[in-house]
Amino acid sequence: MNTAILLLIVAIAAPFLALASGAIHPRLVPHVSLVATAAAAVVTIWSFWQPDSTYSTTWISVYDLNFYFTLDGLARLYALLATGIGFLVVAYASRYLPLHLHHQHRPESDQTRFYFFLLLFMAAMVGLVMAQDLILIFLFWDLTAIASFFLIGYDQQEEESRGAAMMALMVTGITAVLVLIGAMLLHREYGTWSLPEIIAHGDLVGMTKWGLLLIAIGALAKSAQVPMHFWLPRAMAAPTPVSAYLHSAAMVAAGVFLIGRFYPLMQQVDWLLDLFLFIGFASMLVGGIIALTRNVLKHILAYSTISQYGYVVFMFGMGGEYGIKGASFYVLAHAIVKSALFLTAGAVSEATGKKNLADIGGLGRKMPWLAAGSGMAASGLVALPLTIGFFKDELFFARATELGQPYILMDVLGASLTFAYIFRFWTHLFLGREITSPAPISRWLVWPVVVLGIITVVGGIWPEPFTSVASSAASISANKVADIHVHYTFDPIPENLMAIATWVCGLTIYWTRKRWWRAATGVAHLGERVGPAHWYYRGLWGLNALSDRVHDIEVRDLRSRVVSILVPAGALVAIAVLVTPNSNSFEIGAFGQHDFALIIMIVAAVVSGFVVMLLRDHLRLAIGLSCVGYSLAGVYAFMGAPNVTLVAIVVETMTSLFLIGMLVLMPSSILRFETQAKVDKRTMPRDAIIATVAGLLVFFVSWGALSRTSLNTEVIDSQTALTEAVHAKNVVTAILADFRGFDTMGEITVIAITSIGVISLLRSGRLR
Amino acid sequence: MTLVFSLAIASLFAAGAYLMLKRDLIRLIAGMIMIGNAANLFIMASALRRGTAAILPHDGDDMADPLTQAMVLTAIVISFATAALALVVVYRVYTSHLSVDLGELSLAEEEQSELDEPRSEDIVETEIEEEVEAMIDEALAEVPT
Repeated sequence: MNTAILLLIVAIAAPFLALASGAIHPRLVPHVSLVATAAAAVVTIWSFWQPDSTYSTTWISVYDLNFYFTLDGLARLYALLATGIGFLVVAYASRYLPLHLHHQHRPESDQTRFYFFLLLFMAAMVGLVMAQDLILIFLFWDLTAIASFFLIGYDQQEEESRGAAMMALMVTGITAVLVLIGAMLLHREYGTWSLPEIIAHGDLVGMTKWGLLLIAIGALAKSAQVPMHFWLPRAMAAPTPVSAYLHSAAMVAAGVFLIGRFYPLMQQVDWLLDLFLFIGFASMLVGGIIALTRNVLKHILAYSTISQYGYVVFMFGMGGEYGIKGASFYVLAHAIVKSALFLTAGAVSEATGKKNLADIGGLGRKMPWLAAGSGMAASGLVALPLTIGFFKDELFFARATELGQPYILMDVLGASLTFAYIFRFWTHLFLGREITSPAPISRWLVWPVVVLGIITVVGGIWPEPFTSVASSAASISANKVADIHVHYTFDPIPENLMAIATWVCGLTIYWTRKRWWRAATGVAHLGERVGPAHWYYRGLWGLNALSDRVHDIEVRDLRSRVVSILVPAGALVAIAVLVTPNSNSFEIGAFGQHDFALIIMIVAAVVSGFVVMLLRDHLRLAIGLSCVGYSLAGVYAFMGAPNVTLVAIVVETMTSLFLIGMLVLMPSSILRFETQAKVDKRTMPRDAIIATVAGLLVFFVSWGALSRTSLNTEVIDSQTALTEAVHAKNVVTAILADFRGFDTMGEITVIAITSIGVISLLRSGRLR
Repeated sequence: MTLVFSLAIASLFAAGAYLMLKRDLIRLIAGMIMIGNAANLFIMASALRRGTAAILPHDGDDMADPLTQAMVLTAIVISFATAALALVVVYRVYTSHLSVDLGELSLAEEEQSELDEPRSEDIVETEIEEEVEAMIDEALAEVPT
């Protein structure tokens, strides 16, 4: 069995199994989801002992699109995050979600939707990491944005979460379009949608650089990097399991995954790497500084995520062997510890009912397991020795040492900020005086944290499994074999000195917090007021106002609504007429010997048309209109179309009777009002000009079109032959009844619906 | 003949467009019917060949293009259906608004929408009134009986 396709099937089946079990009973959903995610995680872990597997089959051959999936090292790393952390999050949610719904007085059946979209997210993630076809990558990329929209907006009765969901969708959805454009540019240059083929090509040609830039922008927006970071803290409105999953292992990880996937190409563009350096460092600083000033637990962690993914982007920017290896290892280590911290925040809020750091303290004695688990995770994030986090910073520092002093300073600064805010987070929660005494909570809210904490420590003592996972991922990003080796040394090598400097600086920042607190909150405040979030809202309001104005213009009355459709349509036709090469294409056409009568009938129709235009009395208007119709019936008669003539006469008679009947039903006072209304001196010339312009346009369009009818009349003969074959005598009726029967049926349906409409409108009496 | 057909189509279309710009809803429908006529004539004129009726058995003469005829038959019937429906809608407008004049109808619509949505000043006024009444009630309650 192909492991790639097996994993894909398991992952894609999961959300639909959850949905199906929800239809049977809502209580079944968590159990089914747990089993489904466990199965996906087991398949992923099993795949580490399997060789890389590829599955490819034709999807749309005309466009050269393929279902092309490869389970390689990079895909394994991110699939492990999506399924493994997905499993723990589902376990946690199975206890958390009923409490959450209970607080909000919502029915248990709302659970189904949550699990469906969570598992859909996992499936999208698994598909994304394995996809090798550019269009497939885009599809799964967009699917993650859609699933996240529903997850962030899960508390749909809260305005805040609806707004947050919309914002996340706007930022990641609009930038997803950039990814698509980038993919198309790559396709244009290389003539293939297959990413491995493009990478194998080696050189960057033509517009490729710009395509890569667009893809990078999409990836940075997804990873919540400055200046597109503002959606992430607001997305914390989602239930805690969603925050833990989307913001540590899935949504934001997808962004750096995409950079990792395209890195073999991106590393050839120097200015793109500089962009990564710049944006990564900006995110490290902005995220770190704002995280220091926040008090809401989940907000601290959200800004921390921004800054941590800033590290990863920064490492991609630094490049080199250590940079790429470090980025892969960092994503793995960060996902483990950050999801643990998110789950801790949820458990603490659930136990105390508080969300603010100032209201919580000294929980360590009452909740020792949670304190221990999250303590291990927190020390992992601040890179203490004996945790997996130590090595993530070790690689980060190793690359900076290679590059020189400015990089060393930037690294230490970023890491010190991390140390300070995480130290503040954990010590305020679990040490010191108890402020709110915690209520007992389910063990299921604690053990996922403990498991993640233990993994953090195991990774610190025995890093080989983790480094091998990260190595195989880094080999894909670097497009050559990369091997990560980490171990502890007690010599004063630069990396160790930088680590010690980080701890000292971090503690200094924390203890001197009274001195810089106001400045930092000022910066955070300034960011809110003039930063990108502000521009997002302004843009949104501007668009809303514009749409209101267009709406006002369009729906004020019937005429302007019609105008708003017809004028652009007419303008388009006019442009088409102007840009079509027209020289020598207008023909006067041949006159046959019998055409004299035809011309007389046409003149009659046109003259009665002009007369109708000038008549004021309604009855004469109706008669004039029927004159046009009957004259046209005559035209058809001289064109060798007896069928059309008969139908035209019948229909014209009906229309005239209908119109006259209508006039009879309306009192003469209403009609007289219209008849005697003065001709508006202002609108008359305007109407005349519009009508003339429209007429001229139609003249050129129809003359141009009629001058270029096909000379190949074989179709007439074939229709005649077919008519003979079906033993009919009249070719036109044979076409209507036999060859184009469906059209005729549609026509009859229209008549039937219209009749029902007419009858019901006539029968329901006066409204007032 | 191509030129003659195009001129005829354009004239009918222009007359229809002129009628559609009127404030009288019945004229608007008349314009619609007229533009429908122009479209039908265009379809007929786009025949690959003009000739005698397409009825078998057929002798040596050229036969007229049967396909455009079949299409125009459908078009005629559909434009009749839409014209009938539009006429009934106009009648319906008359029964509910006692007018078939676009200008009057837009006026009536604006009045209606103002009735539906009370203006902001009105809301503020009623709120203030309510507050004042509540204050008076409170003051009265404190008066010892």
